[in-house]
Amino acid sequence: MPKLTLKFKDTKISDFLLEEGRSINIGRRESNDIVIENLAVSGMHAKIDSIDKGYLLTDLKSKNGTFVNGQLVATHWLGHGDTVSIGKHTLVFTYAEGEERSAGGAGGMDKTMVMDTEKYRDMLSKSSGNTAGTIRKKESTGVLSFLAGGDGEFELKKKLIKLGKDASNDIIVKGLMIGKTAATVSKRPKGYYLSYVGGMAKPKVNDVAVKESVLLKEFDIIELGPIKVQFIYKG
Amino acid sequence: MYHIESAGITDVGMRRKNNEDALFLDDQKQFYVVADGMGGHQAGEVASNLVVKTLWDYIKRFNGDDAVEELDDHDESLSTQANRLLAGIHLANKSVYQASQSNEMYRGMGSTVSTVYFTNNTLIAANVGDSPIYLIHDGSIELLSVPHTVLAEQRALDPENSKQLGNEFKHMLTRAMGVNETVQVDLSEIQCFKGDMLVIGSDGLTEKIDKEEIHQVVAKENPEKACQTLVDLSNTRGGSDNVTVIVLKIMDAKFSRGGFFKFLSKIFKR
Repeated sequence: MPKLTLKFKDTKISDFLLEEGRSINIGRRESNDIVIENLAVSGMHAKIDSIDKGYLLTDLKSKNGTFVNGQLVATHWLGHGDTVSIGKHTLVFTYAEGEERSAGGAGGMDKTMVMDTEKYRDMLSKSSGNTAGTIRKKESTGVLSFLAGGDGEFELKKKLIKLGKDASNDIIVKGLMIGKTAATVSKRPKGYYLSYVGGMAKPKVNDVAVKESVLLKEFDIIELGPIKVQFIYKG
Repeated sequence: MYHIESAGITDVGMRRKNNEDALFLDDQKQFYVVADGMGGHQAGEVASNLVVKTLWDYIKRFNGDDAVEELDDHDESLSTQANRLLAGIHLANKSVYQASQSNEMYRGMGSTVSTVYFTNNTLIAANVGDSPIYLIHDGSIELLSVPHTVLAEQRALDPENSKQLGNEFKHMLTRAMGVNETVQVDLSEIQCFKGDMLVIGSDGLTEKIDKEEIHQVVAKENPEKACQTLVDLSNTRGGSDNVTVIVLKIMDAKFSRGGFFKFLSKIFKR
């Protein structure tokens, strides 16, 4: 049976043995299995459920949070040596020597589950610490800045931008050799790609003709017939 | 027009009793989808099958450039077909959500969805959840889907801290079909070329086989054989999850270029 060792700072207070099939509650109130008398601890702070061969720690929306190895958690499959911090108290989870160790909740681990979105956002803002506002990485938008054949900037807001002679294109490029749709710029998880579609004139990136697709890097120069644009990230 | 060769299979794996994955392929509409369900009892299967079926029922009504009925979430910046696919995914999300709300047995069920849909001259890849869509182009393999897992999102936000996240976050999704009334879809519309290959899978595929191995198998074998090889490989390595894989090869890509240019290019090719 694995055990939990309750400590205050570096002083050991007591040991609790965990049993398969039995859940335990942790908190300030007397009714808990593990009582921690400290104002930083919520009445019902967290619980540990025995599921299959594993032990799942769940924070019960406590006021000050539950941390495992310094990281704020909503739920966590306990593994050998994990240190759970609640206020200034810690609980160290260990298996006895030679005891079969669950790989941190083998039962649930392969299973896909969906995280409660609210809980997740909450966890994110707490884990990232200092500034809760900065957690959402701003997705930067690509921009084509005209150097020749046009003015100003073209913001790549659409998933797929078409360039060519036809009026249906997003950027209309005139010229005998330009295809109806000559090229496209599309957004993928890795970044923006320029692709050749059709027509006699192939687009060029930094003077190299593009036969198929190429990932655009910031400050790349794109040429297609009479137009010349620079690719830049904005924001 | 693209000429596509396709194949797809799903396998229960070595350790699970049920198969919660679902897939569908249609070469005529050039529509391909994989869904990986979750939820107790039979609910995971119900969810993934409902997603695949609803999405296909929606898509099959349309031909070519037919306009989509105007939906509240119609996105001006997307092509007709991309809007159509998006509308289908939203519909499928709603149907799973409603099924789970109305039946106690299905409460809390959900599914991923990863789909590839071709237009005359582009391909659209869209996903919710963590089922991967890979594009193999010019000797390299790239993920076209966006994995909606806690681990992947944390890695992108904060690479240093994400190392401390436990393994349980690997399979913890931040979004899924049928869990909420609405869902946010990641989508890209891109150009693809003759010789390109696509692989759509459930996470059971990538659990045991890394993307370079997938690349090697798919590049070497025809779609049907490649699917079987990948499933066998996953099962040999323990097959702890259901495995589903669809392999697509672009055999030919022909676009209309207009008379004058067709004429010109004929001359130049001589």
